[in-house]
Amino acid sequence: MRKRLQLFLLVSLGLALAQPSGGELRVAILAEPPVLDPTASTSQEIPRMLYDNVLQGLVKFNEKGEIVPALAERWQGSPSSLTWTFHLRRGVRFHNGAPFTAEDVVFKFNRARDPKSGHTHPEYYQDIQSVEAKDPYTVVFRLRQPNQDFLFNLARPDSVIGPKGRMEEQRTQPIGTGPFRFVAWERGVGVRLERFEGYYEPGLPYLDRVFFRFMPDPNAQLAALRAGDIQVIGLGVSPEAALVLQRDPNFKVVTGFTTTEITVGMNNGRPPFNDLRVRRAIQHAVDKKALVEGVMLGYGTPIGSHRSPGESCYEDLSGYYPYDPAKARALLQEAGYGPNNPLRFTFTLAAPYPYERRLGEAIAAQLSQIGIQARLEVVEWATWLSRVFRGADYQMTIIGHSEPHDIGIYANPNYYFRYDSLRFRELYTRYLRTPDPKRACEIMKEMQRLLAQDAVNLWVMNAPYIAAMRKEVVGWWQNQPTPSLNVTRVYLSR
Amino acid sequence: MRSFLLRRVLLALATLWLASSLVFLFLLFLPGDPVQAILGLEASPAARQALERALGLDKPPWERYADWLTRTLRLDLGESIRYGKPVGELLEERLPLTLGLVLLGLGGALFLALPLALLALRFPFWDLALTGLMALLQSVPTFFLGVVLLYALAVHLPLFPASGFPGFSNPWEALRHLFLPALTLALSRAAILFRMARGSLLEVMGQDYIRTARAKGVPETWVLFKHALKPASLPLVTVLGLEGGFLLTGAVVVEVVFALPGMGSLALTALEARDYPLLQGLVLVMAALIVLFNLLVDLLYGLLDPRVAYA
Repeated sequence: MRKRLQLFLLVSLGLALAQPSGGELRVAILAEPPVLDPTASTSQEIPRMLYDNVLQGLVKFNEKGEIVPALAERWQGSPSSLTWTFHLRRGVRFHNGAPFTAEDVVFKFNRARDPKSGHTHPEYYQDIQSVEAKDPYTVVFRLRQPNQDFLFNLARPDSVIGPKGRMEEQRTQPIGTGPFRFVAWERGVGVRLERFEGYYEPGLPYLDRVFFRFMPDPNAQLAALRAGDIQVIGLGVSPEAALVLQRDPNFKVVTGFTTTEITVGMNNGRPPFNDLRVRRAIQHAVDKKALVEGVMLGYGTPIGSHRSPGESCYEDLSGYYPYDPAKARALLQEAGYGPNNPLRFTFTLAAPYPYERRLGEAIAAQLSQIGIQARLEVVEWATWLSRVFRGADYQMTIIGHSEPHDIGIYANPNYYFRYDSLRFRELYTRYLRTPDPKRACEIMKEMQRLLAQDAVNLWVMNAPYIAAMRKEVVGWWQNQPTPSLNVTRVYLSR
Repeated sequence: MRSFLLRRVLLALATLWLASSLVFLFLLFLPGDPVQAILGLEASPAARQALERALGLDKPPWERYADWLTRTLRLDLGESIRYGKPVGELLEERLPLTLGLVLLGLGGALFLALPLALLALRFPFWDLALTGLMALLQSVPTFFLGVVLLYALAVHLPLFPASGFPGFSNPWEALRHLFLPALTLALSRAAILFRMARGSLLEVMGQDYIRTARAKGVPETWVLFKHALKPASLPLVTVLGLEGGFLLTGAVVVEVVFALPGMGSLALTALEARDYPLLQGLVLVMAALIVLFNLLVDLLYGLLDPRVAYA
């Protein structure tokens, strides 16, 4: 027993010594967000840099995707799930020095649930009937009806809390309560953060400064990493580069799961994909294992519905439609396509997403093996957004759906898949209104099965998270349960 | 001379107006809009409306154009939609780097091309080798050349920084950061200048007055420098002017490879975001610079060729 205690003390001493604080961390990310307020744009680059690092909400996701306390110390829901009481952490200050109180929470959620406020996702908060400050450190939410996702939505980047009354300025100069404070956004260059001395968790963060640099070119990122200009490539390292860096003793590669479902979207409202047989034929004609092995060199996990293995209530449906070219041919024949009348359509790829683009090209090649002619068309992002996403003017496309827990998009018949299923909408409503998590989970699984049955889209894989860094960088998040390059506990070992 | 300048200035103003108005028109016809580019996927329709109102994009296009024109006449370029920052400030941040890069790149190209062209003309053996080398340089794409230089001189032999630009406040550091991208530009542009210089030198060397000079017993090197170089540099000046204008945004590949925040990548971002105030501001400034370059070229003509007069 005593030996164990000694060992324990030694290990903890070692850990304490091994966590030198200070230093600057320079991290490359691929794209520059349009604003820095996660409530003003759905760009995932904003939470990647700022979630929990700078901006925090009542609750937050940890590395495993669990919901843990942030600005609220504890909370409880009433038995009916209609009243939620949050007890706030005391003595918290914003980066501008203002104290954080219940008034800031009330201001935030009154704005969030007002559709006219410009908040990008007012629907997350539409079941909130009222939010009141019982005292400076207690906030009570009253809901119109039970909402299974209430707490989850409070942990999203959209629910971060800034100082009361501050709105416009948050777009370019975000102020929050996190371990780092925002210093500067150099347009086209990067975002600088600095250690916040008044952070409420003692001893954190370890780093003095963090510099997120926008580097759109993967070659430039790699060269900068090797030259020591940056210490981390935050995401999107190509599988080939990952294999090379893994073998180099100076670097390490961190891989894990994301919540990105790489989805071959099919326009269910238009020929040829308004025919269930054609959509099922596509499922049988694509070999997902070969895609993971061949295109992604083994990185990524095949999936069979619109949910990622790292998320709660996941059901593995990746084998629902086994790879079977003969069956695909038979289904196509049934739908009226054959050697004399091959299935032809346009496959629209969005230019800026490298994983999706190369997967799309490989899928088109696989489809051509059973006589399907997919004409590839590459469009730039703004065109993709307006034509495919908003106008649903497309036949087939491929994109990564990176928002966590986003299966609800299938309940919207106007979404670009044009999937119109009364049964799915009923299931989704039932899921939301079921307070018991276990039963809600069952419904969530049924929703995934229904999507697979209807073969709405071809879900190819859960996109891998691949980051690369110099070996002295310690404490990097392995997974991305929400897009976040969390640097709170990152340090540089010497 | 005065009427020449006046005509040039009026022409320049018309060019500026036309170029920036055309940009506005083209952006109207492109699919996609700035609001979607900011909000991204999944944002609610209510958020769209709110942002459209806030940015004044709910007004009809002709009204937005009129707003832009009156503002510009007061020398106010407005605010970038994508960056939420005055266009003038953004250009001020980017222009020094781009001008530095273009000047160093073209200067370097000239510095390489001209002596080599003279060398090639003087010694036939060098001619073959240099023409071959230049053809090779011209056919290597800049993104490849850039990456090769990057790995050679920043990673394996860490003489220069691999990326970024710290600003001109420390001139030495600025030069160190600009060296590799400028070298990439210089090598790829030197090929064109070399061929141009060699061609026009060859042409001049066939002229009667060169024969006369040789007949008088002037040494061959002296013939080249004293009699051939000046008239042969006329087409070179033209190309330099054109290249300078093109490289203001045409250096975008080099900017991306070396992660430099220049005008090229700014223009690309503005186009992708359908940020019409920013793009129009960029076009205005660039058109102005190109007009200026052309004017300089015309004036240089007068210096190099006594037959040119301004009327």
